[in-house]
Amino acid sequence: MSDQLGLLTQLIELFTSSVSYGERLDNFVHLLARNLNFDLALFFVLEKEKQRLLLNTSSQGPVSPSMLIVFPLGRGLVGQTAQTREHLIAYRDDPEIFPANRPLETIYPDFQTLASFAVADDNFLYGVLLLVDQKRRKLDTATLKLIKLACLMLAGTIRQALRHDETKKRIAELSGLFEIGKAISSTMELDALLERILSTAAKVINARGAILRIIDEQTGLPRVASEYGDVFETSACLLTSKLETAVVSGELPFVTTSLPDLQGHLHSYLGVPLNFKGHLKGMLCVFDKMSEALEFQEFDAENRQLLFTMAGMISSSIENALTFQELEALAEKNERMVRVLTVLQEISWALMTTVRMEKILDIILNALTLESGLAYDRAVVLLVNENRHVLKAVKGVFRKTSPPTLPLREALMVPVEVRAESAMEKLLPRLQIPLQEDKGILARTVLQKKTFHIVQAEQDSRVNQELRQAYDLQEFVSVPLIVKDQVTGVIVVDNQRSKRAIRDNDVQILNMFANQAVLAIENSRLYSTIEANNRELSLIRERMLESDRLAALSGLAQGMAHEIRNPLTSIGGFARRISKKVGKNSPLRHDVEVITQEVERLEKLLREVLDFSGVNLGYYEEHDFNQIIEDALTLIERDLMASNIKIAKDFALLPNVHCDDRQIKQVFYNLFQNARQAMDKGGTLTIRTYPVEKSDGLYAAAAVSDTGGGIPLELLHNIFNPFFTTKEFGTGLGLSIAERIVSRHYGQIEIINELGKGVTFIVTLPIAKYCLIKTAEDQEAQP
Amino acid sequence: MKHILIVDDDERIRLLLSEELTDEGYEVKTAADAMEALKIIEQQEPLDLVVLDIRMPGMTGVELLPRIIGLRENLPVILNTAYTQYKQDFMTWAANAYIVKSSDLSELKQKIKELIE
Repeated sequence: MSDQLGLLTQLIELFTSSVSYGERLDNFVHLLARNLNFDLALFFVLEKEKQRLLLNTSSQGPVSPSMLIVFPLGRGLVGQTAQTREHLIAYRDDPEIFPANRPLETIYPDFQTLASFAVADDNFLYGVLLLVDQKRRKLDTATLKLIKLACLMLAGTIRQALRHDETKKRIAELSGLFEIGKAISSTMELDALLERILSTAAKVINARGAILRIIDEQTGLPRVASEYGDVFETSACLLTSKLETAVVSGELPFVTTSLPDLQGHLHSYLGVPLNFKGHLKGMLCVFDKMSEALEFQEFDAENRQLLFTMAGMISSSIENALTFQELEALAEKNERMVRVLTVLQEISWALMTTVRMEKILDIILNALTLESGLAYDRAVVLLVNENRHVLKAVKGVFRKTSPPTLPLREALMVPVEVRAESAMEKLLPRLQIPLQEDKGILARTVLQKKTFHIVQAEQDSRVNQELRQAYDLQEFVSVPLIVKDQVTGVIVVDNQRSKRAIRDNDVQILNMFANQAVLAIENSRLYSTIEANNRELSLIRERMLESDRLAALSGLAQGMAHEIRNPLTSIGGFARRISKKVGKNSPLRHDVEVITQEVERLEKLLREVLDFSGVNLGYYEEHDFNQIIEDALTLIERDLMASNIKIAKDFALLPNVHCDDRQIKQVFYNLFQNARQAMDKGGTLTIRTYPVEKSDGLYAAAAVSDTGGGIPLELLHNIFNPFFTTKEFGTGLGLSIAERIVSRHYGQIEIINELGKGVTFIVTLPIAKYCLIKTAEDQEAQP
Repeated sequence: MKHILIVDDDERIRLLLSEELTDEGYEVKTAADAMEALKIIEQQEPLDLVVLDIRMPGMTGVELLPRIIGLRENLPVILNTAYTQYKQDFMTWAANAYIVKSSDLSELKQKIKELIE
């Protein structure tokens, strides 16, 4: 009895001690075997699947793998006890017993007595205790009771240990998840986040490494790849291929496998899918689970569960990080765009400061090539010449190599100097491209009103190869300058020296820039047109003012002239009377003659003034135009000869003109006088007559040319104005009277001024038979 | 002896013409305005030609001309004026000649000769 009490005491001590579960089990079987005098005490544990019982602990010592004894449920004494939970005692000589319990021979060949007890509590069976002895033994009730009690205590300990184990695992899992949680909330930066996640996942699962792949939804290609630990080529490949097939098939990938690496070492893998909002985005995989003793281990169900949980946790944070990364990229892009827009605005501002084409071209070229601008290596502006239907290079420039010192706004305004030593800049002025489809890409830019981005000029059939060779073109952009749907020019840029690639975004910016540039060019063109028109208008206004002034002067002069004529008649008349009366040799005679002559001069002036201002009754008849000219010429022939002027005549046979011959004679006389005065050092007076066909009939024309050097431009617009004279002794009425006479004859007087050569006056008068109707009108018009 | 009436408001012109025409051998009468001239013409004195100024105070030569013609239809009238623009007034066409005043009286004398000899 005291033995039993001693055993019980020892058992209680054992089960309340702090030693580990395995040790307790060891001690338990030893205690029983020794105290109950059995050769052997064995503990068989029920597998999780509850189908088989495995030898777990032996009082003989540690259970090696060669001692593996298995009893399926219901088989052998152990199996039966497990099924019925009743204790059984059997002997070897019992023929029903031996075969089923034969496996026991491997560890104890001489067994005679077998006693099995269920180790179970109210709910669960944990295993079976088997006592073995080589003698035939019987157990009394008290001992049986004691053993059952011990088994019950063991069951409690095992339950406790299992709970403890489970709790430990839970805690480990939870702390793993906590680590992951810490990792995912540690950063928004994708790369850092993935690194933290992978290292934490690997550590929590005791794996040597981890791999993560995320695929791009649009392309189906891996987008993000992150690795931790020593990743083998095969494992990365495995994951990628698994992922790709999963995306195609739509199945969620799950990997738990072992693969050899290139050196033949076997590695185990565990991979789970990463799902974002129900879509497969990638995979998380760990490999090479190591025990604390650095032995390779298989991944178990707990690991799987943990990894799945982790995947669920990290996916949303990875999603966030991806979004964050996208946002960051977007922000960066925006920032770049803002910078470009600022540059464009600066350029726009600079372009607004001027309307001078030359300056605008400089600003455009600066904007394209400045480091702080669009920073192309080379830029050329070509403009369309509509009349000749060609595209002509205007100016081109190389990027300045010196670093920019001025702010952009000022740098833009610096004049662009074409350097003679640059082959490109020297060649450029000769570049003219006919606007035809087959004349290369620049002509096409104009004709198709499209921007062309040529990446490989050498292989591009659209590019004119001569042009390519001349300017060493590789990648370049040709942008049309379009205003009001008209292409006015082309901008060409490239990065010939730096070979910097031109992106789509750059082309877009170029187009924006071209829009600004073309407006400035158009403005400049409009401005220069307006300026020219203004000049002309102010000239006309000046002339009109002068005419007004002259008209007023002429009215005044007329009034005065008439007032003067009466006294002049008296003075002159009496002077003549005196001159008749004084003797030929009288000293008074000369004086009187001076009076007479001066009065005559004044009267002549008056006649000119009054004849010019009034309308004379004409004597219109048909006259020979050539004859009138001859008559006028005879009047001045002697003066011409005296001035050493040769006369060249070229008269065509002409029908008669309808005119007042005296007036027309006056016109030509005037023209000849002017010619003579223009050629005071000699020259040639050429007179040519010829018929002219006009829309309203046939005219006779006479061209009177001198070699007097022409009329200075500043005087030209005044020559038909009355009182305008360059001569010291002229009335200034000659040409204005001539003009009035000719226009009264429905003719015209034109002037061709050749500076440095001479002047040609062309007088055209209507041929008689074509102006009958006009004459009738003319007469009606006369009061 | 032919008789010529000179009508002109300018005393010096009247003097010049009368002296010159007297030298030419004509009998010269003068009138300083239209009314005076009309009086002389109405008196039916011997008269072969009138030299008539146009611009005068009161009745102008152009207004006087039709009345002269009305009184003595065949009396030749020469308009002698400082103005050229009256040539456009068709009333002046009724005169036998239109001569613009000049210190050179040869044109006037020539016309007078043509008209009365």
